[in-house]
Order: sequence, then C-alpha cells, then structure tokens
Amino acid sequence: MRSYAIRRTLTILPVLLGVSLLVFGFVHMIPGDPAVTMLGERATPEKVAAIKQRLGLDRPMYVQYLIYIGRVVRGDLGVSIVRGDPVLPDLLRRFPATVELATASILLAILVGVPVGIACAVWRKSLLDSLSRVGALTGVSMPIFWLGLMLAWVFGVELKWLPTGGRLDSGTSFEPWTNFVIMDALLKGDWAALRDALRHLVLPAVALATIPLAVVARMTRASMLEVLSRDYIRTAEAKGLRLATVVLRHALRNALLPVLTVIGLQVGSLLAGAILTETIFSWPGIGRWVYESIESRDYAIVQGATLFIAAIVVAVNLLTDLLYAAVDPRIKYD
Amino acid sequence: MRFARAVLVITAALLLGAASPALAQTFVMGIQGEAVSFDPAIITDGISAWTTNQVYDPLVKYKGSTTEIQPALAEKWSASADGKVWTLELRKGVKFHDGEPFDAAAVVWNFERWWKEKHPQHENQLKAGQTFEYWEGQFEGFDDKSIVSKVEAVGTHTVRVTLKQPQAPFLANLGIFSFGIASPKAVEKWGTEFGKHPVGTGAFKFVEWKPNQEVVLEANPDYWGQKAKIKRLVFRNIKDNSQRLAALKAGEIHGMEGLNPDDVKVVRGDASFQLLRRPPNNVGYVAFNYHVKEFQDKRVRMAFAHAINKKGIVDALYGGIGVAATQQQPPSLWGYNKDIKGYDYNPAKAQDLLKQAGFANGISEITWDDGKKEPLILWYNSRARPYFPNGKEIGEAIAADLAKSGIKAQLQTAEWAVYLNQRKDGKMGLYMLGWTGDNGDPDNFSCYFWCSPGASREGFYSNKPIADLLLRASVTTDQAERAKLYRQFEQMLHDDVARLFIANTEPPLAFSKKVKGYVPNPTGSEYFNTVELQ
Repeated sequence: MRSYAIRRTLTILPVLLGVSLLVFGFVHMIPGDPAVTMLGERATPEKVAAIKQRLGLDRPMYVQYLIYIGRVVRGDLGVSIVRGDPVLPDLLRRFPATVELATASILLAILVGVPVGIACAVWRKSLLDSLSRVGALTGVSMPIFWLGLMLAWVFGVELKWLPTGGRLDSGTSFEPWTNFVIMDALLKGDWAALRDALRHLVLPAVALATIPLAVVARMTRASMLEVLSRDYIRTAEAKGLRLATVVLRHALRNALLPVLTVIGLQVGSLLAGAILTETIFSWPGIGRWVYESIESRDYAIVQGATLFIAAIVVAVNLLTDLLYAAVDPRIKYD
Repeated sequence: MRFARAVLVITAALLLGAASPALAQTFVMGIQGEAVSFDPAIITDGISAWTTNQVYDPLVKYKGSTTEIQPALAEKWSASADGKVWTLELRKGVKFHDGEPFDAAAVVWNFERWWKEKHPQHENQLKAGQTFEYWEGQFEGFDDKSIVSKVEAVGTHTVRVTLKQPQAPFLANLGIFSFGIASPKAVEKWGTEFGKHPVGTGAFKFVEWKPNQEVVLEANPDYWGQKAKIKRLVFRNIKDNSQRLAALKAGEIHGMEGLNPDDVKVVRGDASFQLLRRPPNNVGYVAFNYHVKEFQDKRVRMAFAHAINKKGIVDALYGGIGVAATQQQPPSLWGYNKDIKGYDYNPAKAQDLLKQAGFANGISEITWDDGKKEPLILWYNSRARPYFPNGKEIGEAIAADLAKSGIKAQLQTAEWAVYLNQRKDGKMGLYMLGWTGDNGDPDNFSCYFWCSPGASREGFYSNKPIADLLLRASVTTDQAERAKLYRQFEQMLHDDVARLFIANTEPPLAFSKKVKGYVPNPTGSEYFNTVELQ
C-alpha cells in the first residue's frame, strides 16, 4: 500500500509538467493580445509594442515557457500582467472562498444525493423514483448561470430571504483571519458574521450543487440497484433483517465505491462550475478571478490558477484512489 | 428526527432575518468589475476611477454635468500671452489624508513623478510593469519628449508650468482622473504598493479594499470643499448587469452603473427607482477599412450612409438613451457642428449610388488591396460598450438595413480581446467600434483617429488636410477659433463620408428613489460628497 501510494504520488509530477505545458500553450495560442486588451479602443501599434516589451511578451515562446517553469519550480507563479501583483499570494487569498463554496456544494450533493439515490433504488419505479429522475435530468441540463439568476431573483429580489450575491454584507467590519469566513466566524464566536456568511453561501452553493447532486443521486441509485440484486442481500433479507439494516449496513458500503469515484471526479467539474457560479453571485473566489483574467488575457493569472486547480484535481483523485482501500478492504495495492 | 428539526430551526433562524444595521449610514454603489489600482497616475480604467475620484482631487475639476473647468486644488490660474506658461494658484490650508500639507512642493513632486522616467517613484512602477499612460497620451510622452518643459514652485502655493508649445486642452487634461494629486510622503512610503493604500485630499478617505468584493471609503471630516453627507461609501463589485439590477431591487445596493438597454425600461417603470443619464460623451460608428478597394470609392461609402436607418436603430435598440450620431464629436462638445444633419435614410438613393459606382447588383464581396477577395463581413462588438450596448442586435439591424439596398453583409464577432487585436492589425473590412471622451475637449475625440494619415488604428484613412487642420487646432489657444476649426473638420469628414457615425448615448445610472444629489458627468468623473440617502 505504501509503495503504491508513493508511486502514485510521484506520477503527479509528470502530469503537472504536462498540464503546465498545455496550459502555457493554450493560453498563448488563444488569439487576442494582453497589451491590446489593456489599451482597449486607445491602442496604437507603438504603445502595444512598448507594453509587450515591458512584459517580456516579445520573446520567443519557448524562452517565455522556460522562464515561467523555472519560476514555478521555485514557487513563483509570476506577476499579474494587468495589476503587477504576484499571482501566488492573490491566489491563496481567493482560494478559501472557492473551497468554502465547493465544499458546501459537494456536501449538499452528498447529503441530498446519496439518500435520494438510496430511496430511489429501494422504492424503484415509485413516484419518488420518477420525480427524482426528472429532477436529475433537469439538474444536469440546467445552465448554471440561468439557474443562478433565477435563484437570485426569486429568493433575493422577490422573497428577500437571502442576498443576491457577495460573500458578506457590504461594509461589514468582520476581519477574517484565514479567509475561510465561516470557520473564522466560528472560531471568533462572531455569530452575526456567521449568519451573514451562511446567508450568502446558500444560493451559490445550491446553484453549484445541482449538477453533482443529480450525478451522485443517479449513480447511487444505479450502484445500489446492482448491489441489492446480489445473493448476500437476499440472504440478509431471508434472515428477516429489517429493511434499514439490509440497505444501510449491508448494501450501502458496497454500493458506495463507484459513488466515491464519481464524487472525486466531480471536484474537477465543481471547480469549473465555480467559474460561472462565482461570476453570477459575485463570489470572490478563484473561479471569477480566472474568468476576468481570461477576458483581459492576463496570462500569468490564468496559467497560475489553472496549474493550481489541476494540482488540486490530481490530488483529489489520488485521495479517492487511496480511499478505496479504506471503504473496501478487499482492495489491495501491490 | 427531533435533532433534524432542531437543526432546521436553527438554520432558518440563522439564514432569515433583516440586513445588518451598518447599512443605514452607508451608501453602496454597484459597479461592473474589479479595480486595477488606486494610484490614479497609472490607471486608465473607469472602474478604478470610481474610487480615485473620491479619494483624490485634481487641480481642476469638470463642473456639474458639463466639461467646463472649475477650480479644485488650484483656485486660480492664468496663461501667458503665448499660451506656453501656466501659473496655478493653489488652495491654502488643505491637508492630505495622512496629515501632510498640500502645497506647491507637493504639486511639483506629482508632476515630476508623472513626467520623468528616472523619478524613483516612476521608475519603480515601470519596473513593476506599470506605465503612466494618461500622462503619455495627454502630455505627449516623458522627459524631453513631453510637451512640458519645466514645472516649478514659485511660492508656497504657486506653481508654474512651462510648455514647449501651447496646448489648448491643457486645463481640460489636468481635470482627467489620472491627475489626482497624491501625497508624496505616502507614495514614497508604499512605493509600488501605493495603489493599495491611496492617500489624497479628497472628500473620502480610503478604508479597505476587499479583492473581488468591495472597496470601502469613509467621509473625510476635514475636507476643504463640501463635506460628505454619508458616512461610508462602498463600491461593490457585481460583474453581471442583471445581477447588479437584482441587487438594486433587493435593496442591497443604492445605485448602479451598467444597465442593459432592456432594463432601462424596467427601471423607468418602477416608482422605487430613478434613472439618471450621463450627458452624451461617446460615439459609436461603423469604420471602413481603406485597404478594401470598394471602400475607396466615395459613392460606395455614401451608399452605405444612406442605407442605414440610424434613427430606427436608436429608437428600437437603445432603450431611450441614444440619439442618432451625425459626426465624430457628440453634441455636448463645443466643437460640434450643428449644421451637419447626417445622411438621410434613403435606400433608393443608396442603390442609385451603388449603380453609379458599378455595383448595380449590390455588394456582397470585398476586394483587398492585394487582390484577395472575401465575403463582406460586418463585425460587431461582442462586449457591451457604452456606445453600442448590445452590439449583436445593432449589428443585425445595420445588416438588415444594408440588405434592403443590396449590400449583403454577413455578421461576425470575436471575443473582445480578439476583436481589438484584429482591429489593431487592420484585418476587419467593416466593423463597429466607438470612442468615449476623457476630458470634453474636441481634440480628445479627433486627433487619435485623424492626425496620423494612413495609420492602421482605424482603417488606414489618409487625409492630410484634415490632419493639418487638427494639428493647428490643438495648438490654437483661442477657443472660438478652435471651435471654428473643429466644425470645419467635421464638415470635411462628413463630405468625404469617412466613417459611418451611428449613435451617441447617454449612459444610464439607476438609483433608489431615496438617493438625492447625484450629478452625472459626461466624463464619468462623479463625486459622492453631494449625495445623500433620505
């Protein structure tokens, strides 16, 4: 197990190197020039050339890549083209907001999706099953930005139950320690700030959770159905065990394995979905930051943040692989 | 079950409830994005300027809703007879937010920072990848290249600026947001980080910048002018236009910029809001690329001009905030030529002109100078601009009008960064773009485009008489004489059908009915010290 874990961890390095090359290539391949974008309507060829020279964008591509990767190895993700700020500290400052949102969404997806999936499997072809199928289909196919706008409109504008966006009320003096606002509010015992933060979290978390929720629910259902048809389940039922015991103790653990894989994979799409959700709900995380940086062709930020996100996705998938063994003792790694 | 119910009750109690009372003394303005920096000298974006306009004062300001110059940190000024020496009398008893005195030395220090590349606080910005863009643009470069040749303190509160040649819009330039006067001590203290710790003399002091969320300012109790009526001012970053309107409707913000044209009607029809409009200071146009052979024929260009129903487009697609444009300058500028009525919408005439030019069957293809042919494409802007708030719909309407006269243009767009790049490289044959003015001076609307004959910046148009006329206007100090020159310039452009001017707009701002005292300015330099919440 240990040697597997070490080997598996080491494979991350070539993967990340590949990702860096791809990201660098793609970012520089997309048409559009940061210097021109910065100048907007006022661009003149002379000004554009001056800015390019200043930013080092006039050098050959491979030189730019080598300089970039050399810096990355030393933990330096470069400097924002537009703002001139180092990318890494900015990234770390925004990351907690994205983690908070993604965690809330994935928890929502698991806490709702798994029980719904189980119920649909147990009461197959019931009204609940049909409704959840329709719900899942809608959830998967609904554009996040549309759902986001609708949620904000209904719960923010019409009902006025929840804020339409942002992470805390305007002008609040709450000073987070770590930028994990909810955790900070709890640690400080600042209940007003906690309430404020939770109120702001609900709508974006729901919008972001729809797709993973639908996927988790359908996957749990399918996996559960498969397990429920096994012989040992029939034996358990024949022994006269209660339905809850059969389902939750005997079937669920085996059914969860593929669900776990799916949840691991969803982390990647959650971070992608965060770009839209954060933009719609003015959530100050890295998704929105990346979106704005793509618009302004801020290569350094797009590269840095993508590499960072890739590292996280790779790490989560590694963790999922390793978790298998914990969930299913039959799995052994050489 | 009981546990679940308890969790539910606590959650509901946490989530539902009134907004925090902190809002009462706080004005929240919803703006369209994230600022770049609050160092006015290095910024060019309107989003950063929302904040810098409150924190800094320039030497002169634009008055109310006009671009007339009024005193700010300079109380009085005079120019020498040859227009080359300006003497500025500064306001006395003013202090920067850090307690440092505002005087002639501070003004000279700011000028030298803007102007001299070797100034330590200029050089460090260059090394950090920043540039003093507006200085370069308005004062013709740095060091010896600049039109400024000397800036000196001739008393504790008197500054003398010497120019190499007269610059007619000198004062108008000094009113641009980039020339807010910063505290020299604070700039030296923070260096390249000054943009995160702005210190000026303005009506509001900087409190905090929460990245991608908001900027918080507080009223400056020692302000030399009208003191702010609100205690705190927050600029909240809400990128999406619809979402910003939702926040306004939900009462989370008190005012906003950047309304979708469709939403203008919504705001107008709702008694709890008010719609304010900035006087027009922009122009949206369709540019010809003069490397396209067909467009080198004036009759063809004139046919295009008669084919487009500008009034129809403005009425249908601008939500009541636009007017049909007739020339390069918007009507609010003093160089505007009232006698130019624009080409009337007349498809029959357009067809006739095309026939005369040898295109009896209309035009659906263009020929580049190198002989390469391609279908005629009308490029429209993918990003909303003040002059073309919904580029796609406006592009469609223009193409539909052109088709009625036998000009078949396909529509195409590109993501904004790509679009600007294609325009820079002169790759688009026929495209929509525009301009928003900086300082209310006609020079600002004209010289960029028309002073460099044959330059690629807008379709390689070449007309030396126009360029000479504009260069003359830019060094003439008598405004009446200049106005005459700019009117003449507009007439020449019009006669040559150099470009198709489509619309001027009055960019809308929406506010809650409770807001009083907000004065929209054509340049966007707007101040919150007059604003109150009732």
